[in-house]
Amino acid sequence: MNSIDPPATVSVLDRDQIRDLMTQVLAAQGKDLPSGESADLREIGFRSLDFSELALRVEDEIGRELNFDAPGLRNIRTVGDVLDLLAELQDAT
Amino acid sequence: MSDSPVPAASVVLVSGGSRGLGLSIVEDLVAAGLKVAAFARTVTPELAKLADTEPDTVLAGSVDVTDLAAVTAFVRRTESTLGPIDGLVNNAAIGQDSLHVHTAPDALARLIETNLTAPLLLTRLVLRRLLATSRRGRIVNVTSICAQRGFPGLAAYSATKGGMEAATRSLARELRDRALINCVAPGFFASEMSAVLGSTQLDQIVRRTSTGRLTEPVDVLPVVRMLLTADTNIHGQVLTVDGGSNT
Repeated sequence: MNSIDPPATVSVLDRDQIRDLMTQVLAAQGKDLPSGESADLREIGFRSLDFSELALRVEDEIGRELNFDAPGLRNIRTVGDVLDLLAELQDAT
Repeated sequence: MSDSPVPAASVVLVSGGSRGLGLSIVEDLVAAGLKVAAFARTVTPELAKLADTEPDTVLAGSVDVTDLAAVTAFVRRTESTLGPIDGLVNNAAIGQDSLHVHTAPDALARLIETNLTAPLLLTRLVLRRLLATSRRGRIVNVTSICAQRGFPGLAAYSATKGGMEAATRSLARELRDRALINCVAPGFFASEMSAVLGSTQLDQIVRRTSTGRLTEPVDVLPVVRMLLTADTNIHGQVLTVDGGSNT
Protein backbone atom coordinates (compact mmCIF):
# COMPACT_ATOMS: atom_id res chain seq x y z
CA MET A 1 0.00 0.00 0.00
CA ASN A 2 1.29 3.45 -0.83
CA SER A 3 1.65 5.82 2.07
CA ILE A 4 1.65 9.58 1.94
CA ASP A 5 3.46 11.52 4.61
CA PRO A 6 1.31 14.25 6.18
CA PRO A 7 2.37 17.78 5.28
CA ALA A 8 4.99 19.23 7.58
CA THR A 9 3.60 21.69 10.11
CA VAL A 10 5.16 24.38 12.23
CA SER A 11 4.09 25.05 15.80
CA VAL A 12 3.44 28.77 15.48
CA LEU A 13 3.32 31.24 12.58
CA ASP A 14 4.98 34.60 13.04
CA ARG A 15 3.39 37.89 12.02
CA ASP A 16 4.99 37.94 8.58
CA GLN A 17 3.73 34.45 7.81
CA ILE A 18 0.21 35.32 8.96
CA ARG A 19 0.40 38.49 6.91
CA ASP A 20 1.33 36.44 3.84
CA LEU A 21 -1.75 34.27 4.37
CA MET A 22 -3.90 37.37 4.85
CA THR A 23 -2.57 38.66 1.53
CA GLN A 24 -3.64 35.38 -0.10
CA VAL A 25 -7.15 35.59 1.38
CA LEU A 26 -7.62 39.11 0.02
CA ALA A 27 -5.99 38.28 -3.31
CA ALA A 28 -8.52 35.50 -3.86
CA GLN A 29 -11.15 38.27 -3.88
CA GLY A 30 -9.11 40.58 -6.08
CA LYS A 31 -8.20 42.83 -3.15
CA ASP A 32 -4.81 44.08 -1.94
CA LEU A 33 -3.41 44.19 1.57
CA PRO A 34 -1.89 47.62 2.24
CA SER A 35 1.55 47.85 3.79
CA GLY A 36 1.75 48.53 7.51
CA GLU A 37 -0.69 47.43 10.18
CA SER A 38 -2.91 50.44 10.64
CA ALA A 39 -5.22 49.93 7.68
CA ASP A 40 -8.91 49.74 8.63
CA LEU A 41 -10.40 46.32 7.87
CA ARG A 42 -13.66 47.86 6.59
CA GLU A 43 -11.79 50.01 4.13
CA ILE A 44 -9.87 47.08 2.67
CA GLY A 45 -12.96 44.85 2.65
CA PHE A 46 -11.73 42.26 5.14
CA ARG A 47 -14.85 40.81 6.78
CA SER A 48 -15.45 38.41 9.64
CA LEU A 49 -15.70 35.45 7.27
CA ASP A 50 -12.38 36.47 5.81
CA PHE A 51 -10.94 36.25 9.31
CA SER A 52 -12.44 32.73 9.54
CA GLU A 53 -10.81 31.83 6.26
CA LEU A 54 -7.50 33.23 7.45
CA ALA A 55 -7.76 31.32 10.74
CA LEU A 56 -8.43 28.10 8.82
CA ARG A 57 -5.35 28.71 6.69
CA VAL A 58 -3.30 29.26 9.85
CA GLU A 59 -4.77 26.02 11.25
CA ASP A 60 -3.62 24.17 8.15
CA GLU A 61 -0.09 25.44 8.67
CA ILE A 62 0.18 24.71 12.37
CA GLY A 63 -1.81 21.47 12.33
CA ARG A 64 -4.29 22.27 15.08
CA GLU A 65 -7.63 24.03 15.42
CA LEU A 66 -7.98 27.62 16.64
CA ASN A 67 -11.53 27.65 17.93
CA PHE A 68 -12.66 30.93 19.45
CA ASP A 69 -15.77 32.81 20.52
CA ALA A 70 -17.32 35.62 18.51
CA PRO A 71 -16.67 38.50 20.99
CA GLY A 72 -12.95 38.39 20.24
CA LEU A 73 -13.70 39.10 16.62
CA ARG A 74 -15.80 42.16 17.36
CA ASN A 75 -12.78 44.04 18.70
CA ILE A 76 -10.59 43.76 15.63
CA ARG A 77 -10.49 46.92 13.57
CA THR A 78 -7.11 47.00 11.84
CA VAL A 79 -4.67 44.69 10.13
CA GLY A 80 -2.55 44.82 13.28
CA ASP A 81 -5.53 43.66 15.36
CA VAL A 82 -5.89 40.62 13.09
CA LEU A 83 -2.22 39.73 13.47
CA ASP A 84 -2.38 40.27 17.25
CA LEU A 85 -5.47 38.07 17.67
CA LEU A 86 -4.09 35.22 15.61
CA ALA A 87 -0.84 35.36 17.55
CA GLU A 88 -2.80 35.21 20.80
CA LEU A 89 -4.95 32.32 19.56
CA GLN A 90 -1.89 30.33 18.58
CA ASP A 91 -0.34 30.90 21.99
CA ALA A 92 -3.55 29.92 23.76
CA THR A 93 -3.95 26.53 22.07
CA MET B 1 -19.14 41.17 -0.50
CA SER B 2 -19.26 39.40 -3.86
CA ASP B 3 -21.39 40.74 -6.68
CA SER B 4 -21.65 37.32 -8.27
CA PRO B 5 -24.21 34.67 -7.27
CA VAL B 6 -23.01 31.54 -5.50
CA PRO B 7 -22.11 29.15 -8.32
CA ALA B 8 -24.10 25.97 -8.87
CA ALA B 9 -22.76 23.00 -6.97
CA SER B 10 -20.72 20.54 -9.00
CA VAL B 11 -19.62 17.94 -6.45
CA VAL B 12 -22.31 17.13 -3.90
CA LEU B 13 -22.05 15.06 -0.75
CA VAL B 14 -25.31 13.33 0.24
CA SER B 15 -25.68 11.73 3.66
CA GLY B 16 -28.16 8.90 3.93
CA GLY B 17 -28.02 8.44 0.18
CA SER B 18 -28.55 4.71 -0.12
CA ARG B 19 -32.32 4.35 0.01
CA GLY B 20 -35.61 6.25 -0.10
CA LEU B 21 -35.47 9.98 -0.63
CA GLY B 22 -31.69 10.06 -0.27
CA LEU B 23 -31.15 7.58 -3.09
CA SER B 24 -33.66 9.44 -5.25
CA ILE B 25 -31.74 12.67 -4.63
CA VAL B 26 -28.49 10.98 -5.65
CA GLU B 27 -30.03 9.59 -8.85
CA ASP B 28 -31.61 12.93 -9.70
CA LEU B 29 -28.39 14.91 -9.21
CA VAL B 30 -26.38 12.43 -11.26
CA ALA B 31 -28.98 12.67 -14.04
CA ALA B 32 -28.56 16.46 -13.88
CA GLY B 33 -24.84 16.10 -14.54
CA LEU B 34 -23.46 16.60 -11.04
CA LYS B 35 -20.84 14.45 -9.34
CA VAL B 36 -22.23 12.86 -6.20
CA ALA B 37 -20.67 11.18 -3.20
CA ALA B 38 -23.23 9.33 -1.11
CA PHE B 39 -22.82 7.51 2.15
CA ALA B 40 -25.00 5.61 4.55
CA ARG B 41 -24.53 2.99 7.21
CA THR B 42 -25.24 0.36 4.59
CA VAL B 43 -24.65 0.76 0.88
CA THR B 44 -27.68 -0.75 -0.81
CA PRO B 45 -27.38 -2.72 -4.06
CA GLU B 46 -29.09 0.18 -5.85
CA LEU B 47 -26.46 2.70 -4.75
CA ALA B 48 -23.61 0.24 -5.33
CA LYS B 49 -24.86 -0.40 -8.86
CA LEU B 50 -25.02 3.33 -9.57
CA ALA B 51 -21.45 3.81 -8.33
CA ASP B 52 -20.24 0.84 -10.39
CA THR B 53 -21.99 2.13 -13.50
CA GLU B 54 -20.75 5.71 -13.12
CA PRO B 55 -17.35 5.45 -11.38
CA ASP B 56 -16.23 8.90 -12.52
CA THR B 57 -19.40 10.52 -11.27
CA VAL B 58 -20.63 8.60 -8.24
CA LEU B 59 -18.81 7.54 -5.09
CA ALA B 60 -20.54 5.38 -2.49
CA GLY B 61 -19.37 4.63 1.01
CA SER B 62 -20.53 2.66 4.01
CA VAL B 63 -20.24 5.28 6.72
CA ASP B 64 -22.21 5.94 9.91
CA VAL B 65 -23.01 9.65 9.98
CA THR B 66 -22.33 9.73 13.73
CA ASP B 67 -18.77 8.47 13.23
CA LEU B 68 -16.95 11.75 12.63
CA ALA B 69 -13.61 10.13 11.86
CA ALA B 70 -15.19 7.91 9.21
CA VAL B 71 -17.16 10.83 7.79
CA THR B 72 -13.98 12.92 7.60
CA ALA B 73 -12.17 10.11 5.81
CA PHE B 74 -15.01 9.81 3.30
CA VAL B 75 -14.96 13.56 2.66
CA ARG B 76 -11.23 13.35 1.90
CA ARG B 77 -11.80 10.34 -0.34
CA THR B 78 -14.51 12.26 -2.18
CA GLU B 79 -12.22 15.22 -2.74
CA SER B 80 -9.43 13.04 -4.12
CA THR B 81 -11.83 11.05 -6.31
CA LEU B 82 -14.44 13.53 -7.55
CA GLY B 83 -12.94 16.92 -6.67
CA PRO B 84 -13.57 19.56 -4.00
CA ILE B 85 -17.03 19.35 -2.43
CA ASP B 86 -19.15 22.43 -3.06
CA GLY B 87 -22.57 21.00 -2.24
CA LEU B 88 -23.95 19.14 0.76
CA VAL B 89 -27.30 17.48 1.34
CA ASN B 90 -27.87 16.60 4.97
CA ASN B 91 -30.41 13.85 4.54
CA ALA B 92 -29.39 11.07 6.93
CA ALA B 93 -31.81 10.72 9.81
CA ILE B 94 -33.50 8.13 11.93
CA GLY B 95 -37.23 8.14 12.61
CA GLN B 96 -39.34 7.82 15.70
CA ASP B 97 -42.69 6.26 16.47
CA SER B 98 -43.02 6.41 20.23
CA LEU B 99 -44.75 8.71 22.68
CA HIS B 100 -42.22 10.87 24.52
CA VAL B 101 -43.00 9.33 27.90
CA HIS B 102 -42.25 5.90 26.49
CA THR B 103 -39.08 6.83 24.60
CA ALA B 104 -36.00 5.46 26.33
CA PRO B 105 -33.34 8.03 27.23
CA ASP B 106 -30.74 6.31 25.07
CA ALA B 107 -33.15 6.27 22.12
CA LEU B 108 -33.75 10.00 22.59
CA ALA B 109 -30.01 10.65 22.73
CA ARG B 110 -29.48 8.59 19.57
CA LEU B 111 -32.12 10.61 17.72
CA ILE B 112 -30.45 13.88 18.67
CA GLU B 113 -26.97 12.58 17.85
CA THR B 114 -27.99 11.29 14.42
CA ASN B 115 -30.47 13.95 13.34
CA LEU B 116 -28.97 17.09 14.87
CA THR B 117 -25.40 16.75 16.14
CA ALA B 118 -24.13 14.71 13.19
CA PRO B 119 -25.43 17.03 10.44
CA LEU B 120 -24.13 20.06 12.33
CA LEU B 121 -20.69 18.47 12.52
CA LEU B 122 -20.81 17.45 8.85
CA THR B 123 -21.84 20.98 7.90
CA ARG B 124 -18.97 22.37 9.98
CA LEU B 125 -16.52 20.00 8.28
CA VAL B 126 -17.63 20.88 4.75
CA LEU B 127 -17.75 24.61 5.46
CA ARG B 128 -14.28 24.62 6.98
CA ARG B 129 -12.89 23.02 3.83
CA LEU B 130 -14.81 25.47 1.66
CA LEU B 131 -13.65 28.54 3.53
CA ALA B 132 -10.05 27.37 3.85
CA THR B 133 -9.77 27.26 0.07
CA SER B 134 -11.68 30.44 -0.78
CA ARG B 135 -14.48 28.47 -2.42
CA ARG B 136 -18.24 28.95 -2.24
CA GLY B 137 -20.97 26.35 -1.96
CA ARG B 138 -24.49 25.30 -1.20
CA ILE B 139 -26.11 23.27 1.55
CA VAL B 140 -29.56 21.71 1.67
CA ASN B 141 -30.88 20.30 4.93
CA VAL B 142 -33.73 17.84 4.59
CA THR B 143 -36.04 18.54 7.51
CA SER B 144 -39.72 17.72 7.91
CA ILE B 145 -43.19 19.11 8.24
CA CYS B 146 -42.83 17.90 11.84
CA ALA B 147 -40.65 20.93 12.57
CA GLN B 148 -43.68 23.16 11.96
CA ARG B 149 -46.64 21.07 13.10
CA GLY B 150 -47.19 18.75 16.02
CA PHE B 151 -47.59 15.03 15.53
CA PRO B 152 -47.88 12.45 18.31
CA GLY B 153 -45.02 10.03 18.64
CA LEU B 154 -42.49 12.37 17.09
CA ALA B 155 -41.41 14.74 19.88
CA ALA B 156 -37.65 14.16 19.74
CA TYR B 157 -37.63 13.73 15.96
CA SER B 158 -39.52 17.00 15.55
CA ALA B 159 -37.12 18.74 17.93
CA THR B 160 -34.14 17.68 15.83
CA LYS B 161 -35.75 18.86 12.60
CA GLY B 162 -36.76 22.16 14.18
CA GLY B 163 -33.20 22.46 15.44
CA MET B 164 -31.81 22.07 11.94
CA GLU B 165 -34.17 24.72 10.62
CA ALA B 166 -33.13 27.14 13.38
CA ALA B 167 -29.46 26.41 12.72
CA THR B 168 -30.01 27.03 9.02
CA ARG B 169 -31.29 30.53 9.67
CA SER B 170 -28.30 31.37 11.87
CA LEU B 171 -25.84 29.84 9.42
CA ALA B 172 -27.28 31.87 6.57
CA ARG B 173 -26.41 34.98 8.59
CA GLU B 174 -22.92 33.69 9.35
CA LEU B 175 -22.14 32.56 5.82
CA ARG B 176 -23.49 35.61 4.03
CA ASP B 177 -22.58 35.18 0.36
CA ARG B 178 -20.00 32.43 0.81
CA ALA B 179 -22.49 29.59 0.85
CA LEU B 180 -26.24 29.31 0.42
CA ILE B 181 -27.97 27.17 3.02
CA ASN B 182 -31.63 26.18 3.03
CA CYS B 183 -34.02 23.49 4.21
CA VAL B 184 -36.49 21.37 2.32
CA ALA B 185 -39.28 20.15 4.57
CA PRO B 186 -41.27 17.31 3.03
CA GLY B 187 -44.68 16.34 4.29
CA PHE B 188 -45.19 12.73 5.23
CA PHE B 189 -44.51 10.37 2.38
CA ALA B 190 -47.33 8.06 1.43
CA SER B 191 -45.14 5.04 2.07
CA GLU B 192 -44.27 6.20 5.59
CA MET B 193 -47.85 7.05 6.47
CA SER B 194 -49.32 3.82 5.25
CA ALA B 195 -46.85 1.92 7.41
CA VAL B 196 -48.12 3.43 10.66
CA LEU B 197 -51.66 4.65 9.96
CA GLY B 198 -54.88 2.91 9.07
CA SER B 199 -56.78 3.65 5.87
CA THR B 200 -59.32 5.85 7.68
CA GLN B 201 -56.58 8.07 9.10
CA LEU B 202 -54.82 8.18 5.76
CA ASP B 203 -58.03 9.23 4.01
CA GLN B 204 -58.52 12.00 6.57
CA ILE B 205 -55.01 13.37 6.01
CA VAL B 206 -55.45 13.27 2.26
CA ARG B 207 -58.73 15.18 2.55
CA ARG B 208 -56.95 17.88 4.56
CA THR B 209 -54.20 18.19 1.95
CA SER B 210 -54.99 20.88 -0.60
CA THR B 211 -53.63 18.94 -3.55
CA GLY B 212 -55.54 15.84 -2.49
CA ARG B 213 -52.51 13.60 -2.38
CA LEU B 214 -49.64 12.86 -0.03
CA THR B 215 -46.07 13.83 -0.83
CA GLU B 216 -43.88 11.51 -2.87
CA PRO B 217 -40.07 11.66 -3.00
CA VAL B 218 -40.28 12.72 -6.64
CA ASP B 219 -42.04 15.91 -5.51
CA VAL B 220 -39.02 16.90 -3.43
CA LEU B 221 -36.30 16.28 -6.02
CA PRO B 222 -36.69 19.41 -8.16
CA VAL B 223 -36.65 21.58 -5.05
CA VAL B 224 -33.39 20.08 -3.78
CA ARG B 225 -31.88 20.33 -7.27
CA MET B 226 -32.96 23.95 -7.60
CA LEU B 227 -31.38 24.90 -4.28
CA LEU B 228 -28.11 23.26 -5.32
CA THR B 229 -27.90 24.52 -8.87
CA ALA B 230 -30.24 27.40 -9.74
CA ASP B 231 -29.47 31.08 -9.30
CA THR B 232 -32.34 31.91 -6.94
CA ASN B 233 -30.85 33.99 -4.10
CA ILE B 234 -32.85 31.83 -1.66
CA HIS B 235 -30.91 31.74 1.61
CA GLY B 236 -31.79 30.61 5.13
CA GLN B 237 -35.27 29.46 4.15
CA VAL B 238 -37.46 26.42 4.70
CA LEU B 239 -39.28 25.26 1.58
CA THR B 240 -42.17 23.03 2.56
CA VAL B 241 -43.28 20.36 0.13
CA ASP B 242 -46.49 18.93 1.57
CA GLY B 243 -49.29 19.50 -0.90
CA GLY B 244 -50.60 22.45 1.06
CA SER B 245 -51.61 20.56 4.18
CA ASN B 246 -49.91 23.27 6.21
CA THR B 247 -51.93 26.15 4.78
